[in-house]
Amino acid sequence: MKDKDIIAVFENDLDLVKAIGSLKESSIPVRDAFTPFPVHDVLKMLGRKSRLPYFSVMAGAGSIILVFAFLYYTAVIDYPINYGGKPYFAFPSFVVIIFLLTILITFISTVLVFHFRTGLFPGKEPEIPVPDSSDDRFILTVGVDEGLSGEMRSMAKEILTKSGALEIIETEQ
Amino acid sequence: MDMDNTAVRPALIKGNKSYRQVTDDIAGPSERTPAKWWYAAMTVSTMALLFGLWAMYITVVEGLGTWGLNNSVGWGWDIINFVWWIGIGHAGTAFTIFLIVFRAKWAASINRAAEAMTVFAVMCAALFPALHLGRIWLIFYIMPYPNTRGPLWVNYNSPLFWDVLAITTYLLLSVTLWYFGMVPDLATMRDRAKSKIKKGIYGFFSMGWVGSVQNWVRYEALSKLLGGLAAPLVVSVHTIVAIDFAVSVIPGWHTTILPPYFFVGAIFSGFAMVLTIMILIRKTFALTDFITRSHLDSICRVLIFGSMVIGLAYATELFIAWYSGSEYEFFTFFRSRATGRYSVSFWIMVVCNAIIPQLLWFKKIRASLNWMLVISIIINIGMWYERFVIMISSLAQDYLPSSWVSYSPTIVDIGIYVGTFGIFASGMLMFIRYIPMIAISEVKGLAGEKKDEIKPDTK
Repeated sequence: MKDKDIIAVFENDLDLVKAIGSLKESSIPVRDAFTPFPVHDVLKMLGRKSRLPYFSVMAGAGSIILVFAFLYYTAVIDYPINYGGKPYFAFPSFVVIIFLLTILITFISTVLVFHFRTGLFPGKEPEIPVPDSSDDRFILTVGVDEGLSGEMRSMAKEILTKSGALEIIETEQ
Repeated sequence: MDMDNTAVRPALIKGNKSYRQVTDDIAGPSERTPAKWWYAAMTVSTMALLFGLWAMYITVVEGLGTWGLNNSVGWGWDIINFVWWIGIGHAGTAFTIFLIVFRAKWAASINRAAEAMTVFAVMCAALFPALHLGRIWLIFYIMPYPNTRGPLWVNYNSPLFWDVLAITTYLLLSVTLWYFGMVPDLATMRDRAKSKIKKGIYGFFSMGWVGSVQNWVRYEALSKLLGGLAAPLVVSVHTIVAIDFAVSVIPGWHTTILPPYFFVGAIFSGFAMVLTIMILIRKTFALTDFITRSHLDSICRVLIFGSMVIGLAYATELFIAWYSGSEYEFFTFFRSRATGRYSVSFWIMVVCNAIIPQLLWFKKIRASLNWMLVISIIINIGMWYERFVIMISSLAQDYLPSSWVSYSPTIVDIGIYVGTFGIFASGMLMFIRYIPMIAISEVKGLAGEKKDEIKPDTK
């Protein structure tokens, strides 16, 4: 959200979806939407995707190798101990530990990356354009960094009103 | 087939509510001053907690001699209660998996409370093995790090070590799932809060959540990943607990049936606890539109299934004890458990777990909250006896009759168990007091998607 954006407040998700559709048709840039629950059509229309799963898979694969290397080093190379005649390289036991530690490492690193990428962390101040977007209002912000041209602004406002915006907030140009 | 588009399923949320009503209904109880019963319940559970703290103090200061354990029965109430609590914990994660991995949307309004139950139950469970160490200040010995104590690393072949890893991972992952699940709702609470302190606290924990597209996309990706990771983990946790027993050579423990049998038992007792808590929450907070009768009905159906699997497991154990021709197994199952010294506990276990839950086949019983409440509590009593039978009968009467003993808990054993009830109950009470009990954003999503289709619940 930037100062030059147009902020529209909607009453429900259907109006919001309609507005985004018409704005896209007239190729007016939509910046962001703020909703009280994930509206999947909006997420799809704005074309944002998360790469978190790719990271997670890589972290998982990496931790399998790491944990295996750690177990092999400690149990076979560094200090091999004979526990009741079992082999030093006790693969079945390793599998269980690799399984558990892979889950542990993958989930912790995924959560850390989530914090890092979203910038969300406990104690962060929220930057909400309009309150109530966590209750029952659906917010749409329209604009680009360098500001919309006058013609586009009026077009955007017209479309937003038509799609049933309750309120349109326009900040100083 | 997309279950949500069929016309057959009754509405998940009743009453055709607006989004604001959903917020008001669910967030309301956390914003009002609690009722008198809340203070009464909190007092009782704090007293239980204090009793437990005293017992734990005695254990740590005077040692394990204050427990009822002896040379033959080395695992007593501590491990019984550990297995019992961790089993109860499994249901919360099961609900998360239903919701996130299988997209069973009916789980949305139960998930949060079930996860809270998991978190507190696993905390209670983790206390027991920690106290059983005797010298709890040496707990760091279990960590694999280079040291000068002789065997440099821990024994990776020991299921007890796997157990430590499994429970640590499980506790961390279930706390994370629970916390991340409530971030959007904490933001709602933050935006609704009137007092500055409340706004500050909810604001701190809501992590600056704004509900933007980027927020939601990554949030959904994260919750799917965490749910996906929790699914195999939850199966492994009780499997490993069962392997603690199964790899030993004690009659009655040394069986391959134990892992699946323990896992089903865990889900079974956990669902029973969810049912107890859901009925209580529904009654006390008038959340009947969100926790509908069809929710309770679904849990009951899972309980019937669990009860039948458990009954089959009991029968299989008995059959194999006879069919295998192992005289020790035969003694444990037929002489010690079914007809001998532990027959009362054994038959309480069978009746409570395999027979009484069959009453839930009747629609009339599934329609009565009181019946369901009573049966759900009976199941958890039965599951406690199951662990008692497994633990004590096998240890007290094993291969060598000269080392046969009897076992009874001391006041310290009882104190720790009562104390964990204090932890669990006060944790749940704090939860229903300060955190929305139902995932507001999830439920709003359901209300939004089904706006035109919501029909009156015919049940």
